[in-house]
Amino acid sequence: MMKSPIEPPEGNWWNEKVNRRETIWLGLSGTWAVTLFGWMAGWMQFGEQNQVGETLKLSTAAYREKVDEYKSAAGEVDAGLVPPGTDVYVGALRYAFDGLPAVLETGTEYTFHLGTYDVQHGFSVRQEDTLSKQLSLQMLPGYEWKVPMQFDEPGTYHVVCNEFCGEGHRTMHATFEVREEVPDTAETAADGGGSDAAYDGWLTDDARGGAASNWDGSPTDATGTDAVTITVGPDGEYVYDPAAVVVSPGTTVSFEWASPTHNVLVESAPDGAGWGGHGSIENDGFSVEHTFETEGVYTYYCEPHLPLGMKGVVEVT
Amino acid sequence: MFGFGTFTYDDEGYRDCSVTGLRIHRSAEEMVKLFGLTAILALLIGGVFAILVALTRWELVGLLAPGAFYTVLSIHAWNLLIFWMIFMEIAILYVGGPYVLGRPLSLPRVAKTGYGLMLGGAVTINVAIWLTEQPDQAPLLTSYAPLPSSPWFYLGVVVFLAGALVAALPFLATIWHEKREHPGTTLPLVAFGAFITSIVAAEAIVGGLITYVPTLFWRIGLVEHIDAAWYRQMYWIVGHGSQQINLLAMISVWYFMTHVVGGAEVASEKVSRSAFVLYLFFINMGAAHHLMSDPGVSAAWRVWNTSYAAYGAVIASMIHAFAIPAGLEIGRRKRGEGGGTFGWLWSAPWKDPGFSATILSIVLFGFLGGITGVMMGQMQLNMTWHNTLATVGHFHATVATGTTLAFMGLGYYVLRLVFGREWIARPIAVVQPYLYGGAMGITSLMMMYLGILYGIPRRHPSVMDIPGTEFGFTAARPLFVIFGIAALLSIVGGALFVLVAVGTLLGGDRYEGALPIDRPTAVADGGDHDDTPHHLLSMRGTFILTSVFLGVFVVMWALNWYLLSQLWQVG
Repeated sequence: MMKSPIEPPEGNWWNEKVNRRETIWLGLSGTWAVTLFGWMAGWMQFGEQNQVGETLKLSTAAYREKVDEYKSAAGEVDAGLVPPGTDVYVGALRYAFDGLPAVLETGTEYTFHLGTYDVQHGFSVRQEDTLSKQLSLQMLPGYEWKVPMQFDEPGTYHVVCNEFCGEGHRTMHATFEVREEVPDTAETAADGGGSDAAYDGWLTDDARGGAASNWDGSPTDATGTDAVTITVGPDGEYVYDPAAVVVSPGTTVSFEWASPTHNVLVESAPDGAGWGGHGSIENDGFSVEHTFETEGVYTYYCEPHLPLGMKGVVEVT
Repeated sequence: MFGFGTFTYDDEGYRDCSVTGLRIHRSAEEMVKLFGLTAILALLIGGVFAILVALTRWELVGLLAPGAFYTVLSIHAWNLLIFWMIFMEIAILYVGGPYVLGRPLSLPRVAKTGYGLMLGGAVTINVAIWLTEQPDQAPLLTSYAPLPSSPWFYLGVVVFLAGALVAALPFLATIWHEKREHPGTTLPLVAFGAFITSIVAAEAIVGGLITYVPTLFWRIGLVEHIDAAWYRQMYWIVGHGSQQINLLAMISVWYFMTHVVGGAEVASEKVSRSAFVLYLFFINMGAAHHLMSDPGVSAAWRVWNTSYAAYGAVIASMIHAFAIPAGLEIGRRKRGEGGGTFGWLWSAPWKDPGFSATILSIVLFGFLGGITGVMMGQMQLNMTWHNTLATVGHFHATVATGTTLAFMGLGYYVLRLVFGREWIARPIAVVQPYLYGGAMGITSLMMMYLGILYGIPRRHPSVMDIPGTEFGFTAARPLFVIFGIAALLSIVGGALFVLVAVGTLLGGDRYEGALPIDRPTAVADGGDHDDTPHHLLSMRGTFILTSVFLGVFVVMWALNWYLLSQLWQVG
């Protein structure tokens, strides 16, 4: 009798005997499935890697405030923030990790707080020297996930975003450093010795972040005018336009946002200058202005897009 | 239809297939041709875009800038993971229903309406992705809210999904009519598989509509807020559910093709059908593995869903993994084509691309796709797989090697048995499944290595150098070379299939109905066969092969856990 899968089975097919080897295979499959489940449940109890932790629901703005509070309470060394306690806050935004870089200590159990300010991101961490030691956790806007982590091996840990978050996704990177001992947070970065390049190379990739793509080596001369406009992110490009501008004292410079999620953080300013930039992230349509009185060079950058070279200079002469 | 077919129909619209013995009605045949050809068109589009994706990720070439890469990647994903698959699956439903049952297709107009909606949706999606402009972003496959994509994209998805739901109705109506007319007859196994496929498909599609209608409303401003965790949970009902339609359709094709081309019989109706029922209840839970490293769901939810998915769906897949080769083994032993332990395999028609594509599909799906799916579906292991290139390797092993190869194998026989045309360029057709399967298998494997051993993130146009940093994944460069070459070879393999298919349609000789092996039905109906009940026939060859599979499974599982145990402490 032929048993074809394209013809109706005949007779009482349910009661037909099953081949002995097929029966053994059923038993093996069942045992294997129970083993898989049992191991997973057991690892929850006895294993050291379980991505579990409390989750809070809160607005992106509220999470951002928490990260800001954390940052102002944290100490700072050359390599990054030193958490004030055992909480480490990371706020992801297009295309940066706010709160990082950080400096942590081996053997301390930290609670990582993972959240975002805009869209979904990924918290994908690996050890610099052993790329196979890596894990990924999802970061969602509207949620704060508290995941405890403890590091035994000192070294640099690289974080990349591995959830697609827009065109600049691949540039989203940060680090934290794990040290045997975290130094006192008094030390500061001192980078003496000037450079021959304009503005000490601030607009090139010799300085922090990428090179400003619209920097052609000479600033726009706007001396003698009363008001100057700098476009923040024209056509969605990650630049300030113009990249560098020379103005006379008393000139009012207006920053006008042409694309979303940028800010203006001051990297350096002449002594006594009262310019604080604009720290909160704004979207297109926003504008802010400042009248520059003190002579000297002001360098600034966009926090989320520093790696992309979103940097600028105002020179007052 | 299209003038591509060579068959004629009798006055009632039927013809008899000399190979399968099936009585086929014109109404079903026309729709199978329509959906099947559209599927191959989507395969062609997706394949062309695959060239651009592969040449970008292989950074020695580094073809595209990020913006163009994401557009191209999105079109590649939607055409191959969704359009090629779902158009083909509707064709498979119409084969599994009307063809196998020897009936006309019920509600043919509804089928045409469904086709129109699906085609309209697919075109809208492709155009919307192509024309994406800032601040919209290319949707990729997942279009994770709140990252916005073009509103036309969401509209296209809604229309496409609604169309697929409509196109499934004629199949269900055909089954309903059959059961009304023959209430005492059991559905043939392939029809039963197709029926379960249609239910799993309907669940996935309804999930998709529940996801995309509110998302469309959010995008056009009717709804103010969309919750990212809600979106992810709802999205994966269709995101993974659509891939589970592939799985079930593929398994139905495995039973069909091993029988038609290889002479397989059903080892045990009870066992195989129970496995399909297990899928019905459990496989949708398998989608939960997309949320294993998410903050939005509790640990208990995650372990529970992973566990019953493991209990239900994994067992079902392991049953089919045994039942299908066992069916082949006993079918061939019965007609004297299987001496010794593996004689039934050595004597099989390996030069028939319908057969070789099916067997390669089974082997590669199991070893590469199935095992890795279980790995990443274990909650803790998921941390090391999540959003790395390894997940991309997994679904290229399942969809691009497993399902696509199975559908190519079926496609070869659709050319013969539905269009009535013999393949052109026979030597190319003979090597095509091996070239495509082998190269795509290596491509998948490389992606898995790159993801697991080097933590290469997915969805990055370049990883060798992260702009503005001194960090890059340069250690992975050698594997990317193998990946790049294998990916291009598999695209060549895919292109050869399209070439043979289109060439056969346009210029193939009339197919005269002789299979390269003895036709299973003819042999079985003749007097010269073995009447031993199936449970007494030897399945020892299959048992050895599946034991090897289980061994590899256990070793891979242990290695993955070892790798995880080397990580720092989490949780």
